[in-house]
Amino acid sequence: MKFNGKVLITDDEAHIRQFLGLVLKRLGQPVIIEARNGQEAVDAYERHHPDLVLLDVNMPVVDGVQALGRIHTLDPDALVVMLTSLTNRQTIEECARLGAVNYLRKDLPRDELIAQLQIVIDDNFDSAPPAPPPDDRAP
Amino acid sequence: MNPAAESSQVDLRGRRVLVVDDDRLNLLLLGKILQPEGYEVVQANSGESALERYAATEPDLVVLDVVMPGINGFETCREMKRRFGDTSAPVIFITAKTESEDVLEGLAAGGVDYLPKPFRPRETLARIRVHLQNRILMAQQRKLVDQLSAANTAKNRLLGMVAHDLRNPLSTMRGLSEFLRDDSRDGKLTADQGEIVESIYSTSESMLTMVNELLDTAVIESGEIKIHPKLSSLSELLETSVTLNNINAAKKGSKIVLNAAGLPGEVHMDCGKIKQVVDNLISNAIKFSPPSSLVTVEAGAQSNGCTVAVIDQGPGIPDGEHDKLFKDFSQTSVKPTAGEKSTGLGLAICRRIVEAHGGSISAQNRREGGCAFMFSLPLSA
Repeated sequence: MKFNGKVLITDDEAHIRQFLGLVLKRLGQPVIIEARNGQEAVDAYERHHPDLVLLDVNMPVVDGVQALGRIHTLDPDALVVMLTSLTNRQTIEECARLGAVNYLRKDLPRDELIAQLQIVIDDNFDSAPPAPPPDDRAP
Repeated sequence: MNPAAESSQVDLRGRRVLVVDDDRLNLLLLGKILQPEGYEVVQANSGESALERYAATEPDLVVLDVVMPGINGFETCREMKRRFGDTSAPVIFITAKTESEDVLEGLAAGGVDYLPKPFRPRETLARIRVHLQNRILMAQQRKLVDQLSAANTAKNRLLGMVAHDLRNPLSTMRGLSEFLRDDSRDGKLTADQGEIVESIYSTSESMLTMVNELLDTAVIESGEIKIHPKLSSLSELLETSVTLNNINAAKKGSKIVLNAAGLPGEVHMDCGKIKQVVDNLISNAIKFSPPSSLVTVEAGAQSNGCTVAVIDQGPGIPDGEHDKLFKDFSQTSVKPTAGEKSTGLGLAICRRIVEAHGGSISAQNRREGGCAFMFSLPLSA
């Protein structure tokens, strides 16, 4: 299924954001919003209510795990995928507990990354376009 | 340097010796023997006071009478070892009790030596000197081991940090070049540009493999190798690995075939880690076999486990280089046949992963040529 929703890409490294942006464009025509750390991600989440969040774990200011917690406090239905080069079991479990739907390694081969994100999208969105932002929702 | 010559030069003057005896005359005599040698002598006249004096003065060596009122010498010694630990001062018993059983009890209580009463001054001094020297050398060795192990930890941490920081940019380079490869396939690049992109892709890919091996080694060495075994199908894992590696093998005109009949349904293993082992053995087999070779992967079960063998058509392991195979950063004189890269870490990582599963890994040359790398996993984890 094509993904044409809003996606928030969070990573402190520009080259990774660029790469992830290209990866997402293989999945459809998403609207891409970028954040460079956890704080920016939380702010951007509040402002844009993206349909999907990609969150790096190791970042300055506010790290990914903290940001995940805050985003889920703002919106318990937020769809967050953690992206990291760390495979620390404790962190993985912590992220699962905080509501991340997946935990992917950034250094996965590109096609595998695309396939994994496609699964997240297929699992979480109906064939209809993604839901509008919450404030437009019928009561 | 001759260690004996070195140790005889250790200056023992000023070393503190705790002398324990309920007989004042013996204390006096021992003091007279020890003081001229430059030893600082501390005295105690019972086991109880010896323990107090020990705590207060931290002696380098204890000369301990066995038969005393109150707690005897053996008990005092046991208590000393209990309170002050394994690195506490060596204890030499001095007593008239020299039956073999007494000697044995004294040594079992933690003593290092046994001197008969009445003491022979020169022999007493010689033995005290030997034990003091041993203690000093032990302390030096212990310090050295601590320093080396701290240095090794620091090295691993550095290795881990460097590899980790290199991995992200490298994986981006590989990833971005894949988008250009797609463009090249779609005819959007010139043939020359296409070749350049191919070479960026393959270079970053092989560098990423090296960095990952470095990182694995750093993690494994720092004792953090953790396997999370669960019941999984080994034959499925082998099939996947053979299929994926055949893509690479085809570039060299080589082919990998799998014969995994007779494998049990499921095995206790950490799939990701075992796949890493299988991938490594297969890619080595391709790497070290001439182009257009056939690599055979054979798997089967025995009563106590299952074995996977990867058989290549390479030159085999040279005589005398067998023990290099599974060591860190160690490469045999055999070179890859198409200029492939190698860190010399892959097999060392494989060994650690297999051993963490309670299995074993080995290699042997085959009479008909080539080499077989085998690992086995126990059936019950």
